[in-house]
Amino acid sequence: MITFTFNGLELTARTGQSVAAALLSHNERITRLTRISGKPRGIFCGIGVCFDCLIIIDGKPNQRSCITEVKEGMVVVTQDGA
Amino acid sequence: MNTNADAIVIGAGIIGATTALALTNAGMKVLVIDRGNIASGTTSAGEGNILVSDKAPGPELDLALRSRDAWFEIQEDIGGGFELEAKGGLVVARSESGVVGLRALTSVQRQAGIDAQDVSEADLRALEPHLSHSITDGALYPQDSQCQPMLAAAEILRAVRMRGGEFIAGANVTAINTSNGAVTGVVTSEGTFNAPIIVNATGTWAGQIAELAGSSLPIAPRRGFILVSVPTRKIIFHKVYDAEYVANVSSGEADLQSSAVVEGTQSGTILIGASRERVGFKDGIDFEILRVLARQAIALFPILADIQLLRAYRGFRPYAPDHLPVIGEDPLFKGFWHNAGHEGAGIGLAPASAQLIVDGILGRTSFMDATPFSPTRFTRGEVS
Amino acid sequence: MEHKHQVIVVGGGPAGLNAAKYAANAGCEVALLDSATRLGGQYWRNTGNEIEDQATHHDFDQGSLLMDAVTANPRITHYPNTTIWSAAILDDEITLRTQDDVFSTTRLILATGAYDRSLPFPGWDIPGVMTAGAAQSLLKGEGVIAGKRIVVAGSGPFLLPVASGITSHGGKVVGVIEAAGRFAWLPEILTLLQNPTKISEGLGYLLTLRKAKVAMRFKQAVVAAHAGADGLLDSITVANIDAEFRIKSTYSLQCDVAAIGWGFTPDTSLAGALGLKEEVAADGSVVVVVDDNQCATSPQPEVQVFAAGEITGIGGSGLSLAEGAIAGLSAAASRTNLRQLKKLRRRAHRFALTLQRVYSIPAGWQSWLTPETIICRCEEVNYEAIQDVSEKFGADDARSAKLMTRCGMGMCQGRICSRNVADLLNSPDSDRIKGVYRPIIAPITLGELAQDGLL
Ligand SMILES: Cc1cc2nc3c(=O)[nH]c(=O)nc-3n(C[C@H](O)[C@H](O)[C@H](O)COP(=O)(O)OP(=O)(O)OC[C@H]3O[C@@H](n4cnc5c(N)ncnc54)[C@H](O)[C@@H]3O)c2cc1C
Ligand SMILES: Cc1cc2nc3c(=O)[nH]c(=O)nc-3n(C[C@H](O)[C@H](O)[C@H](O)COP(=O)(O)OP(=O)(O)OC[C@H]3O[C@@H](n4cnc5c(N)ncnc54)[C@H](O)[C@@H]3O)c2cc1C
Ligand code: FES
Repeated sequence: MITFTFNGLELTARTGQSVAAALLSHNERITRLTRISGKPRGIFCGIGVCFDCLIIIDGKPNQRSCITEVKEGMVVVTQDGA
Repeated sequence: MNTNADAIVIGAGIIGATTALALTNAGMKVLVIDRGNIASGTTSAGEGNILVSDKAPGPELDLALRSRDAWFEIQEDIGGGFELEAKGGLVVARSESGVVGLRALTSVQRQAGIDAQDVSEADLRALEPHLSHSITDGALYPQDSQCQPMLAAAEILRAVRMRGGEFIAGANVTAINTSNGAVTGVVTSEGTFNAPIIVNATGTWAGQIAELAGSSLPIAPRRGFILVSVPTRKIIFHKVYDAEYVANVSSGEADLQSSAVVEGTQSGTILIGASRERVGFKDGIDFEILRVLARQAIALFPILADIQLLRAYRGFRPYAPDHLPVIGEDPLFKGFWHNAGHEGAGIGLAPASAQLIVDGILGRTSFMDATPFSPTRFTRGEVS
Repeated sequence: MEHKHQVIVVGGGPAGLNAAKYAANAGCEVALLDSATRLGGQYWRNTGNEIEDQATHHDFDQGSLLMDAVTANPRITHYPNTTIWSAAILDDEITLRTQDDVFSTTRLILATGAYDRSLPFPGWDIPGVMTAGAAQSLLKGEGVIAGKRIVVAGSGPFLLPVASGITSHGGKVVGVIEAAGRFAWLPEILTLLQNPTKISEGLGYLLTLRKAKVAMRFKQAVVAAHAGADGLLDSITVANIDAEFRIKSTYSLQCDVAAIGWGFTPDTSLAGALGLKEEVAADGSVVVVVDDNQCATSPQPEVQVFAAGEITGIGGSGLSLAEGAIAGLSAAASRTNLRQLKKLRRRAHRFALTLQRVYSIPAGWQSWLTPETIICRCEEVNYEAIQDVSEKFGADDARSAKLMTRCGMGMCQGRICSRNVADLLNSPDSDRIKGVYRPIIAPITLGELAQDGLL
């Protein structure tokens, strides 16, 4: 088991899981709000192709949550726009 | 489709589009022909900078100053839609000699009518908070502007069509018809079109079109690469470049020259351009060049190191041996006008160049003497 | 760091694994590069937990045998977490760049696979709408069931393993919605019967679904999605459609996930960046052109590039395996078993073409769009804006649409929308091929690009 935070909330994940999968297992489906209309988006292609699941990880924006492995202590934040 | 017109413009890049608009506004029925579609040549590779800052006093600066204002007049005329913005240019100097050179440049530029303001270190930070701390001197050029060139060409051609002109895409010009030393029309893959006036606005390919008529123009390609970042929040507020860039622009060297011009666009991406080298129409991506551009951009804005690159693309600037555009009537054929060879400034110089062409065709006095741009300068042996 | 290898394989799915194995067994020294942490590609995607993986996979045994063989082979070096962001052929060498390394070789095998094909419809950007492959990769690779009430929809045989996988792991599938008819395969029965293992695999899935009382609906499609107050998927509009996919009547269905797949699109980004010859296949996708030995047409004849698997045309894991084996042998200039492998490939290829015919996608989906429907998800360009380009500017080509609306210019570089835009504009093949050209294959930071020693 791994713990990480999402928007300040402490969550658990299984070792080796992707950030998107870990969030989904806590029923967190929104990874970002779009740049132009501010609409919510989440996982779409699941394999790193569509860039819809972008999220801020440890301060870095534009990380694909579906192909990034969760690490202990990771700080994950919803991406608002770019 | 109408096969007769008052004037035919070959090329639907920014030069062809602005020329067609000027001719249309002068009351002519214009036919624009391109082998591709709107802006399928160098125009879609341009960054859209409309600069006065990178020019030293001389005919090109006079053209640039008029053209900069003419861009805002076109916006008035057709209603915009092409992201025209007086964003302002910020030129910075990183070395002792660079500072001296920059101060000397701004002082002569001011005399020539450019609004060039020397900027102190504190003001630099206020203008661009993320600028590298090693940079202490700069100059602000509020007149420097920008547009989205592809949209500009498209919106201008749309106005031309709405005002009675025609645009034919996918028509490759394969011959220029002449009779008694004057042009009469063009032969294309889509048929023959006739007009007593033909404007060659084919940019980098203008030499080929001149040859079709039996004339010549010494225009060659100068390759440039641009890096495009992923969309980011606004971190860069002006177009920012190193004073060295001015030296590169006018360099005749074949080797790679590069000094990054960095700017943010309305769509959120950051553009980093552009390299200059004479390698013919060489295809493919050159990673050495991309790396140099990335390094120079990071030297200006260290924050860019963490920003992702999304795309890179290249274009071929049309240039003449003396780095001046070719604007005027062909020395051999009456009615055959050239408007080409604007190198790295075709977007900026387009509206005023179009004005010179129309004034020339109509025999009107123009806002400046067009002799320095005349195509006869090559045959007169003034330029080799 | 620089790495030179005799043969480099990119892609650790069925095609790449087999290519590496066959090339190594024929005596070559091979590097196998893949962006994922674990081998397997999309088909044998796994969590690394053998017992769990056994349960989520149809034929994990074959997969784990192959992966074990590759891992144990001393001639093969596996580079995991290795994403190529750019590639070039310079003189007589191919160079591939990753974030920290440069790989070079004179013999390259590309097996970069495919991703789900998606069709746009109103609401397809609402969180909860995802591809069928996404639901599958969540289950197989992450051990997560995508939602509480799941609809699996679209077209093609892939919907069955997705729905049955979710069901057998305790998930609730509220419907499988297939656009083709219940007996659409009947005219092709002869070819299908020549592939008994595939048939029995399919029947197995159907049995699982029947036991769980999952409704199978045919000649229907999800044509709109609706969000609840929380912005998440709440319900979908399902339509009865005609043979052209036009809407006849509709009803609504409650669900929190709609996993929709319309077959697959090859990911030829790397092949395109290398300048390999591509063409538009019968199903409308852009594929790498290969000869009988899986050899691609390289712009530089001094180097050899082979392509195998989905990037040469969508055909599933069986075809990918056969093509990978042939590519591996060809790269090693070996002919051992080549004849039998080619026979295998021929059969798998015939089967693939048959499926493409049965589950083809006519243009009627375009009538599902409203002016506000998003076409380019990244740059949020809607249908109206794309139509506007031809109406306003008289330019009806894909390039003009892209440059004037920014559709396809966002972070996915048109991977999701370029094919749909080409269909909407009825683009010629040359535009479709240009539309998938992306010299920067994966994002890299400017700082990484600027580093020393990368070139
Ligand atoms: C990387 C890069 C960055 C640049 N940045 C800037 C900038 O910031 N600001 C600026 O002012 N300038 C910039 N430029 C320069 C600018 O893009 C050019 O000067 C300008 O676009 C030239 O426009 P044009 O209309 O003459 O040529 P083009 O846009 O090339 O148009 C010529 C047209 O002629 C057509 N044509 C050619 N042959 C035929 C034929 N036989 N029959 C029919 N049609 C034909 C072509 O299809 C083409 O559409 C940049 C250039 C590059 C490469
Ligand atoms: C999400 C998804 C789920 C699927 N699930 C199933 C299933 O359950 N059952 C089934 O029968 N079929 C499934 N398929 C169909 C699948 O396409 C084929 O079954 C088979 O996996 C194709 O094999 P391949 O070797 O051609 O490609 P893939 O298995 O797709 O392998 C390609 C590999 O290349 C790697 N790669 C791509 N580009 C790069 C790069 N630039 N740098 C480094 N590595 C790169 C990828 O990471 C990937 O591992 C699925 C497809 C997708 C997209
Ligand atoms: S869901 Fe498509 S990139 Fe992550």
